[in-house]
Amino acid sequence: MAYYAEKDFFEDDRLVELVTSILAGNLTLEWFDVETARLQARPADPNRGLTYQDCNLGPYGYDAIPELVRNRNSMASRGSVLVPKLPDLGYTVNRKSDVWSDDVCALYEEAKSRRWAPAVDIPWSELLSADDPLREAAMAQLCTLLEEVALVAMEAPARWVFVINQEFLEQKSFLCAQMLDEARHVEACRKRALVSARGLGRASVPAEQALKELLSAETYPEASLATNLLLGSISLAMYQALAALARTRADRLLATLSMQDVARSVAYGVGHVRYHLRHQPARAPMLNEYLDRTEHTMAGIVGSTEWLEPLIVLAAGSRERAALRRGGAFARRWFTQTVAAYLERCEAAGLGDRRQRSHLPGLANRLSA
Amino acid sequence: MSYLATTDFANDGAFLDGVARRLRGDLDLSWLDEPRERVRCRPQNERRGLTLRDLDVGRYGWSAMPELIRQNRSFAPRGAEQPDGLPDLQADVNRKSEVWAYNLDGYYEEAMTRQWNATTDIPWGELLATDLPEDIGKAYAQLLTFLSEVEMIATDVPAKWLGRLNADFFEVKNFIASQAMDEARHAEIFRKRALSTGFGLMRASSHNEHNLKFLRDADSFAEASLALHLQAEGMVLTLFRFSEYVSPTEGDKKLFRLVMQDEARHVGYGMQHLKWVVDHFPERRETVHRHLDEAENFVFGAGYATEVMEPFIILAGKGTKKANIDEGIRIQKMFQTKQGDEYFERLAKCGLPERRERSRLWKMLELAKEAG
Repeated sequence: MAYYAEKDFFEDDRLVELVTSILAGNLTLEWFDVETARLQARPADPNRGLTYQDCNLGPYGYDAIPELVRNRNSMASRGSVLVPKLPDLGYTVNRKSDVWSDDVCALYEEAKSRRWAPAVDIPWSELLSADDPLREAAMAQLCTLLEEVALVAMEAPARWVFVINQEFLEQKSFLCAQMLDEARHVEACRKRALVSARGLGRASVPAEQALKELLSAETYPEASLATNLLLGSISLAMYQALAALARTRADRLLATLSMQDVARSVAYGVGHVRYHLRHQPARAPMLNEYLDRTEHTMAGIVGSTEWLEPLIVLAAGSRERAALRRGGAFARRWFTQTVAAYLERCEAAGLGDRRQRSHLPGLANRLSA
Repeated sequence: MSYLATTDFANDGAFLDGVARRLRGDLDLSWLDEPRERVRCRPQNERRGLTLRDLDVGRYGWSAMPELIRQNRSFAPRGAEQPDGLPDLQADVNRKSEVWAYNLDGYYEEAMTRQWNATTDIPWGELLATDLPEDIGKAYAQLLTFLSEVEMIATDVPAKWLGRLNADFFEVKNFIASQAMDEARHAEIFRKRALSTGFGLMRASSHNEHNLKFLRDADSFAEASLALHLQAEGMVLTLFRFSEYVSPTEGDKKLFRLVMQDEARHVGYGMQHLKWVVDHFPERRETVHRHLDEAENFVFGAGYATEVMEPFIILAGKGTKKANIDEGIRIQKMFQTKQGDEYFERLAKCGLPERRERSRLWKMLELAKEAG
């Protein structure tokens, strides 16, 4: 056990006296005279309910969070009155621009209102009569790898929630929503693989090596860049491809509902890096350098046999040589577009034009040749 | 610098040649013909959809999972083929009985289908139309301040452990993720309600925060779950039930009912987990007792948290006049008794009936009962 109370309360006569006195009707009411801002949160639009934006009021609001949180290290609610002897909970991320994004509250609200449940929202029975063994095998393999990706994407926010200061409540809440989104993808992809009559496929060595590198980013801005922007761009593109290649409503729904979730993470990633660089512009070279040495992981994931081949097979629809060549052409276009979209997002986030310094466009060109 | 993949994929000629070959349609397809256990999972009950329980088949299911996970150290989904070269994720928790619970899958499925939205599922217009008198309003704002303070610990603690569990325990990870979201929603609802009363947030609670730190810093997942899910959330569940009873409007009662639904699930997991530990890892029994000794020390010390007990008395008595306070104290005593009884009853149901004999908290509660 790592933490103990300051005393053995069972031996504390003062405590017994205090409780006995209160239960005899002598309330201390020390808390009653606390003076905090009397502000009332109201829905700006009653149809949308009471949002976090509606609660952005005076000292309680997120606009009032200072850039550096120096004196609030406990779980005390933002804007409440601090009392002596509050413990330090050991938060190590205490700078607002290290975590914040202008759209984080809106994205959190969206995450709650667009919830879905794989068990009941996907018409699984449609898939039980699937009669294309090749297609089912490809889906089983791809969903095995997507389950691995989702496990990492679930773990990434979890790693940071614990160390991010409680003052950034709305952002931490968004990370919790991300964890749930990814739990849903773990579940949905596993279920899809296991209704295929093929069983799960093969874990991917290159993809897992790449995922471990992404997961072990040392700072939160790097981690967000790695998982929300880079990995998010790959996952989003894959779910888009699966939606386009789907032959059943079940597969299309699985892909589009997942896309919706991942798009939220990507949006947060872009918004977060943009906010970070607006407040800490000197960080841009460091983040660019981080991407210089980390972007190879994109090649590791999308170039792995377990990712690329099932995608080609799904696009080809057959094992015949000509069909596989057509599938290969689809995958080349897919990769080129994925890289382009990712680099556009980097630029939108304020990282500048990475087309010249990134390995990825050259790689896409070389592979397309 | 952090972990680096064993290959620089952008500069590995052999890797890139392989990619280029595949993109020309020359596939390896070894994954296609690899021998594997071929199953087709299907919904046992169409109305419930395809549940995790329907996936408990062969090597993919949890029933086949060994007590000690020796083979999988990576993110390979349970049952997938594991080629050489997968990275070691260095999971800290690799023993099933450290994390597992009876009916775990059921709790997760329930969490997924019973997600609700604090923004739209509460009748905010109705709540705002009711003006609370000064004493009730301040007491309620103080109680809500306390509740918003404690809820986020239950996001931090599960999040801390999620990444430390072996990937084979993905059902536990998923449940933990759902709990983190539940608790974020609770922090949100209590904060929003406090700010909609017009009295603002009030005073932080020093004693309770030390208790939160105790929950946060547990040495093992089993201890963290014991203190968080079973002891703390169990006691908070009783508090929610009484808060529903004493809350000032119908809208507030709805709020507490929704929160209780989630909390009951977490307590359910905590109980079924402890039961699993006691059944499968009996050597843990003494550690469990020792952890509860300190957890109960914090519970008893909560008498210092006047910013929780006193608002509750005022809300229960519906005012600050003497008659109101007397009524509030009567209900507060009832609440305390109920909270203690339910806590020890839960422990007994989990296979720790001897806790009553050992517990100093139990003795103090018995003394309080005798004293009336």
